[in-house]
Parts: sequence; structure tokens; C-alpha cells
Amino acid sequence: MNRVEEISPEDFRRYHQSVFRSATKQFVRNRAAFAGLGFLVIVVICSILAPILAPYNPTAINLKEKLKPPTSTHLLGTDYFGRDVLSRVIYGGRVSLLVSLTVVGIAVMVGVPIGLTSGYFSGRIDNLLMRLMDSFLTFPPLLLAVVIVGVLGPDIQNVMLAIGIVNIPIFARLVRGSTLSVREEVYVRSARALGASTLRIVTSHILRNIMAPIVVQMTVTFAGAIIAEASLSFLGLGAQPPHPSWGRDLNEARRYLEDAPWLLMGPTAVIMISVLSINFIGDGLRDALDPKAWRTWKKLK
Amino acid sequence: MKDRLAYLVRRLIQVPFVLIVVSIIIFALVHVTPGDPIQIMLGLETSPDAVAALRKQYSLDRPLPEQYIIWLTKAVQGDLGQSIRSHQPVTQMIAERFPVSLKLAAVSMFFALLLALPTGILSATRRNTWLDYLCTGISIGGLSIPNFTLAMLLIFVFAFKLHWFPITGIGSAIGPKTLWGALAPYSLPALALGVQQTAILTRLLRSSMLDVLSQDYIRTAHAKGVSNWSVMVSHALKNALIPLVTVTAIQFGYLVGITITIEFIFAIPGMGLALLDAVINRDLPVIQGFTLIMAIFFILANLLADIVYTLVDPRIKY
Repeated sequence: MNRVEEISPEDFRRYHQSVFRSATKQFVRNRAAFAGLGFLVIVVICSILAPILAPYNPTAINLKEKLKPPTSTHLLGTDYFGRDVLSRVIYGGRVSLLVSLTVVGIAVMVGVPIGLTSGYFSGRIDNLLMRLMDSFLTFPPLLLAVVIVGVLGPDIQNVMLAIGIVNIPIFARLVRGSTLSVREEVYVRSARALGASTLRIVTSHILRNIMAPIVVQMTVTFAGAIIAEASLSFLGLGAQPPHPSWGRDLNEARRYLEDAPWLLMGPTAVIMISVLSINFIGDGLRDALDPKAWRTWKKLK
Repeated sequence: MKDRLAYLVRRLIQVPFVLIVVSIIIFALVHVTPGDPIQIMLGLETSPDAVAALRKQYSLDRPLPEQYIIWLTKAVQGDLGQSIRSHQPVTQMIAERFPVSLKLAAVSMFFALLLALPTGILSATRRNTWLDYLCTGISIGGLSIPNFTLAMLLIFVFAFKLHWFPITGIGSAIGPKTLWGALAPYSLPALALGVQQTAILTRLLRSSMLDVLSQDYIRTAHAKGVSNWSVMVSHALKNALIPLVTVTAIQFGYLVGITITIEFIFAIPGMGLALLDAVINRDLPVIQGFTLIMAIFFILANLLADIVYTLVDPRIKY
């Protein structure tokens, strides 16, 4: 009982404050993560402000200017229809980021509750849910996504759904493991003893304490979703022409690879920069949100 | 040893159950399809009689659980139906195409190991030097580049500019005359396909080498005056390779399932390209059959990884 009394609300507030402060500090100290955040912010802003920033209309066809190498008027050159590649890359970010965000949303909204249920109640429910999740994990992810899109029909919404579904079991497994590890902690047991409802225990005691691995996994999923969306659009299963999309435009670059290799540069660079940035952010968060922080703080106090 | 055998037996017993659940998922996935597969097969101008006849032929008029049992029974007997488009039996398509994808994945894994072994070891032994940072940087890049983009870059540099490798030749009618002739067409696709695996294996080998190098028995070996080389090879590497073996097996099963983009770029007549065709044309029997085979292969690769790990690592207790 002693340990429970030690943690007063005031302590709790200060703990959260200092954890947040030290996490921010560590995150900023991690230069790669900070640079990653900077680049990601640039990509996001470019996508949001695409209509203002893009020098040309991304779908405006101008056959007189077709397949021109990079010049001062078209910084990344033009494609087979004379469309400005830079403008298409800027607009393409909208598709990629929107799809990837939705994917993370689907995976979290479905995967986290499954994991919490499984980990908190254990027993037969746990067994059933986890066997089901494991069965989904027995498919190579890209294969499963292609099949789901194939069944539902090639379309950008179905791409979001497919990549989202593929990522659900990963979150479910992760959250289940974390839930199991905190389920018997004193603060959970005391909340239970105080008569807190199951929903309250799970959401405000367990979920809050396992946020760190969830947040890190969200970054991993986000980066993976960018590549997955590009792959599916590249295969012609995602964004349909003439809408700009990094993957779709790379498919068109493939046809003119020998004559117009510059078509490859823009989308490739921006995909790599986004994925790298997100991965660095994830690494930074992993260090900053170390779950051991709580114990360290107690000791320091 | 006894408990390890018990674990393996338990692991083997699980396999049929996993296979059944996977087959149910595949069956369910295909049967939630909006739109009638028969309509897709016959096109729009069809008589209701023809639709009913075909429906009966494919037993689509039965309740779903019964359809599943019929499908599974036939699948176990090696009959996965026939392609709606080409009318070729799916089993025959798999027999023709699976070896192509398998070979591509195998060459890819070979390249991945060939690159990962020296870089991983160098990274660990020259830890925190410019060499380590270079290897780390390259593997981070490898994890961030989509394999199809790398494939196009490789084609542009090595096929179009340098003319070192052909970009076609897999599955062509004229058989290769030399070993190089047989391997060269696989080089670029295999290299691109395995880029993430190369990076994963390099990182894994580096960390497992570092882990082993910090162990007491390595210090003991050094203290005994064993030569540096001998410590590295017979003490450190031998133990550091254990996790690599299992991950290699898992990643190999994984590679077979992700050949789609690479087969698409290089027009390689493997499983992935046919699956893509099937997906675009909604050729449901092909989608079902191909997915089933690739999933089974992935499950078996994981099983193999588990078995090897259990047998090789003496520290594991169950």
C-alpha cells in the first residue's frame, strides 16, 4: 500500500511535466530526429499549400513541352504529356500523406482496441483474437494488400483500406504485449480495488502507460505506408491517372527511362526523404519516450 | 533435448491449424467480392441460363460453408480450379511460374548475404569508425528506398548506360548457353528485390556481432593469446550467425511474396506478374490459388526458421 500512497496527484502532474520536458529535450538533442522533423514539416507544408506553391497545374497537358529535361522554367523537367514534374511531385504528396495517415488511423483504431481487449481479458478471447491476428501475419504484407485491392477493385480508397488492414495485426500484437506487461502493475491493481470500471482502467490507466511503443509503431507504419502506397500505385492498383501520385508517376517514368531518366528523380527523392525523416523521428521518439523514464525519475527525486 | 523435441512437435501440430485458418481467410476474402464473378467471366451480354449453368459448374449456387469445403477438398487434391481468362488450370500455372519466382528470390537472398556478411562484420569490428558509419548510412538508405525505384536506377545505370547486364532474358525461348548467360538476367532484379533484406541482415549481423564480441569468452580467447582472426571466425562469427540463419529463412519466405513489383518492371514471368494480371482482371480462382501457395510457402519458411533455431542454439530452453 505504501508505494501507492507515495504517488500524490501533485507528483503525477510534475512527473508528466518533467517527462514531457526531458523527452522534448532529448528529442531535440537527437539531431537526426530533429532534421527528420524539419524535412517532414516541409513535405507536409508543400502538400497543404500545393495550389500556391506548385508552379504549374499538375494535370495541364502541354505537348509542345513534352519530355523536356530540367530547366529553369521546369525545375524537374516535364513528362510525356508536357506536365511539370515538380508540380506533380508537390501535389503527389497530398495523396501519399493522406493515404499513409489514413492507414495509420485504421491500424490504430482497430488494432489498439483488439490488443487491449486481448491483453486485459486474456483467456479464450485472447486466444481467439491472437490466432486470428497471427493468421493475417502469415501473409507477406504486400501480397495481402495486393489481394485485398484485387478483391475490392483498384482504387485509392481500397488501397488505404488494404494497407490499413495489413497493419492491424501488428498494432494488436504490440498493444497486447504491452498491456500484459502493465496489467498487474500496482496502479492498475489499485484502480481496480478502488472500483474503477473496466473501460476506465483500460483507457486511462493502461492505454496512457503504453502510449510510447504505440507512438513509435505509428511512425514505423507511416513510413511503411508511404512505400506501400507507392508500390501499389506503381503497379496501377492505386491512384488512377491523371491524378498525380509518386508511385503512379514512377510507373510513367519507367516507360521513358532511357530517354527521360529525370522523371525518376523527383518522386524517388521525395519518397526517400519522407521515409528517412519519419524513421529518424521514430528513432528519436523511441529514445525520448523510454518507458524506463518513470523509474529513473523516481530515483532522481 | 527432450523439451526441445517436445516444442518442435507442438510447433508442427500448430501448422495444419494455421493452414486451415489461412485457407478460410483467403476463401472469405475472395467471396466478399462486390460483383458477380460469373458476370465478370461472361461479360454483360449473357443469358440467365448460361449464368445459372456456370454458377452450378463452379458450385456457386451452394451455401458458402459448403463451397469452402468443396474448394478445400479439391485444393488438397491439387485442383485449384482454372483461370477465368486463359482457362488454364491454376495448378499448372503455379507449376510453371513458382520456380521462376523462387529462383529470383534465391538469387536475391544470395546477393543479400554476399553483401551483408562482409559489411555487417566490418561494421561491428570497426565500430564507430568512418567505415561503420558508411555501412550504417548505406543500410539506412537501403531501408528507405522502394525496391522498384532502385530497380529502375539499376536498369538506367547498368543496362542503359554501362550495358553490363541485360534487362530481359528470363523465361525467353532461347535457353542460356553459359552459366553467366543463365545468371546475368537475374542480377539486376535480384539485387533490387533484396535491397531491404540486405539492409536488415547487415544491421542484424552488426548488432549480433557486437553482442557476441562483448561476451566473456571472447575476452578469454583474446587473453589466451588466440590470434585475432581466429577469435573473429571461430569464436565470434560462429555464434553471431545463429540469429542470421533464422532471419534469412524468414526473409526468404517473405521475398517470394513480394516479387510483384520487380517482376512487373523486368517482365519476369513469375507468380507476381501473373497475380497482378489476375488482380486487374479479377480472375478469382488464380488470386485464390496463388495467394494460398505463397502463404503456405511463407508459413513453411517460418517453420523452418523455428526448427533451425531450436536445433542450432544450445541456449534455448522450452
